[in-house]
Amino acid sequence: MKTTRLRHYLSAGTLAMLACAVLPPAVAEDGKAILNAKCMACHTPEGNDALSRISHQRKTPEGWLMSIARMQLMYGVKISDEDRRSVVKYLADRQGLAPSETDGMRYAMERRLNTVEKFDEPLNQMCARCHSGARVALQRRPLQEWERLVEFHLGRWPSLEYQMMSRDRDWLGLARNEVAPQLAKDYPLESQAWSDWQKSKPGADALPGQWSFSGHMMTRGDVRGVMSVTHDSGDTFNIEVKGQYADGTPFNGSGSAIVYNGYEWRGNLKIGDVRMHQVFAALNGEMKGRMFETEHDERGLDFSAARQDSPRLLAVQPAFIRAGNEAELTLVGSGLSGTPDLGAGVEVVKVLESTPQLLRVKVKAAADAAPGLRNVALGALKGVDLAVYTEVAEVKVVPAYSVARIGENGGTTPKVQGRFEAEAWGKGADGQPYRIGYLPAKWTVEPFNEQARDDEDVKFAGTMQRDGVFLPAGAGPNPQRRMMANNVGNLKVIAQLEEGGLQGEGQLIVTVQRWNSPPLP
Amino acid sequence: MKHLKPLNNKALILEQAAAEDRLEEVVAMSSVAGCTATTDPGWEVDVFGGVASLCQPMEADLYGCSDPCWWPAQVPDMMSTFPDWNKDAQSSDEGWRNLTTVFPNDK
Repeated sequence: MKTTRLRHYLSAGTLAMLACAVLPPAVAEDGKAILNAKCMACHTPEGNDALSRISHQRKTPEGWLMSIARMQLMYGVKISDEDRRSVVKYLADRQGLAPSETDGMRYAMERRLNTVEKFDEPLNQMCARCHSGARVALQRRPLQEWERLVEFHLGRWPSLEYQMMSRDRDWLGLARNEVAPQLAKDYPLESQAWSDWQKSKPGADALPGQWSFSGHMMTRGDVRGVMSVTHDSGDTFNIEVKGQYADGTPFNGSGSAIVYNGYEWRGNLKIGDVRMHQVFAALNGEMKGRMFETEHDERGLDFSAARQDSPRLLAVQPAFIRAGNEAELTLVGSGLSGTPDLGAGVEVVKVLESTPQLLRVKVKAAADAAPGLRNVALGALKGVDLAVYTEVAEVKVVPAYSVARIGENGGTTPKVQGRFEAEAWGKGADGQPYRIGYLPAKWTVEPFNEQARDDEDVKFAGTMQRDGVFLPAGAGPNPQRRMMANNVGNLKVIAQLEEGGLQGEGQLIVTVQRWNSPPLP
Repeated sequence: MKHLKPLNNKALILEQAAAEDRLEEVVAMSSVAGCTATTDPGWEVDVFGGVASLCQPMEADLYGCSDPCWWPAQVPDMMSTFPDWNKDAQSSDEGWRNLTTVFPNDK
């Protein structure tokens, strides 16, 4: 073991010295110059501005950031944050992914960490059992580069061959002969989508303007407002957000954003006193993605926005009404005008407020309105549903399965909270289930099974608050627990609707902290 | 497994699962993106989908596992990449509070 470590010190140190001694410091140079200055010590020029390894891969901005960070952490590359940003920008623009190549995988960039992935074998067991499968699926490489990734894994973490689901098979043979070719086929360097996108990707002028937005913050409710985007320089922008939650609480702030590769929007802003990060795909007058707290990415909102010159109906808030009731609904979008058609049995009593971004109406659902979904229409604008219900047939806890983490207690990692909503489902006239929406509920936790009961997980793992937020307990060994175990737990999360009392259940794993937290899980 | 006898309850449960052909079923269970359940034991979740069969408390044998890179996606591997990760926490029982995350902060 000591020999290995010594070798490591030498190689990392030597590389770092090489990088420092041979190459001049790059301060305000552009991405290409910094790339050459910082990387050419190891990556050899191949002609046509290409560098070995680097020029044969395509990735997301987060993927490139992780690659460069790995060069820092593993090989001692010295690079300032500013220079690293320039290199990420340079590479993500020229060697990124086409929008369609990120389909179904954006949850990893959006930090939706409670996503249960579904990858086919052998990728599930060979890749996604240690880190997310999306980390792989958001890269494009030719066969040789996938093979090198296999070799890199084994060289860097040799014990992976001894783990369960490795030692029972010829891991290396399988990785080389089956997995790498499959990856090269599924995620190739060259693709029609990428060459098409390079020809058609929009410039920075597609983004400034007024963006009407709609979102839902888990446990906090619907949000709406306007995000003003002004051009700063190059592909960077200034942003100002003016909005509010459904209960009227302000949702205001400002910050800046950068766009990679014509559509990958990344914003950093402060809403009130809270720092938040935006990961959106900005395409064709629409932005879609997730906005989350920088320090607590489990706290975030689904976000969609439409620019003022792109008429669109984004949402109706709330998107449900009980038959026989009157309620106030807000339509959010851009280019809104007129009176909405809310479908059979739902009548607009009065238009309370009308702007191009927002239409607030008082509506009444007839007592005999048939339960089910209606397509909302406002002139030619469509794409949003309104649910009418008479009774709730089923309650689902969202997320159905999730992971929270203990933290703090003097340690350096923050707690990762659980955040839950009770999703009501109805049964339509056709007997089919349909989603009503999130309804208020009382929240409790119970042991998930006998083992959790014996270990007193409910007592130790944390506290379920009234608002559906689970606050995990502190990190560290707990002398009060058997074997001084950590405050981990396997819990059943129970939602009981405030109205009607119907219950739903989910599972929450409260587990230990994580010290390796790159942007792609 | 013929010549091995389980020494503790965890091993017994695993052996029973193996005897009942349930092993593939339990270990194949996927957790959420980026969590690992199948590194015997997993880091976040055990092979049975719970937490009772994790290393507990994880501080007890943390370096015995981080040194041979047992969960490199979750815990800094001390053999190849982060040999000094625990320099301010030589005893994990006492010093775990000094362990820090390793990805550069500028996201």
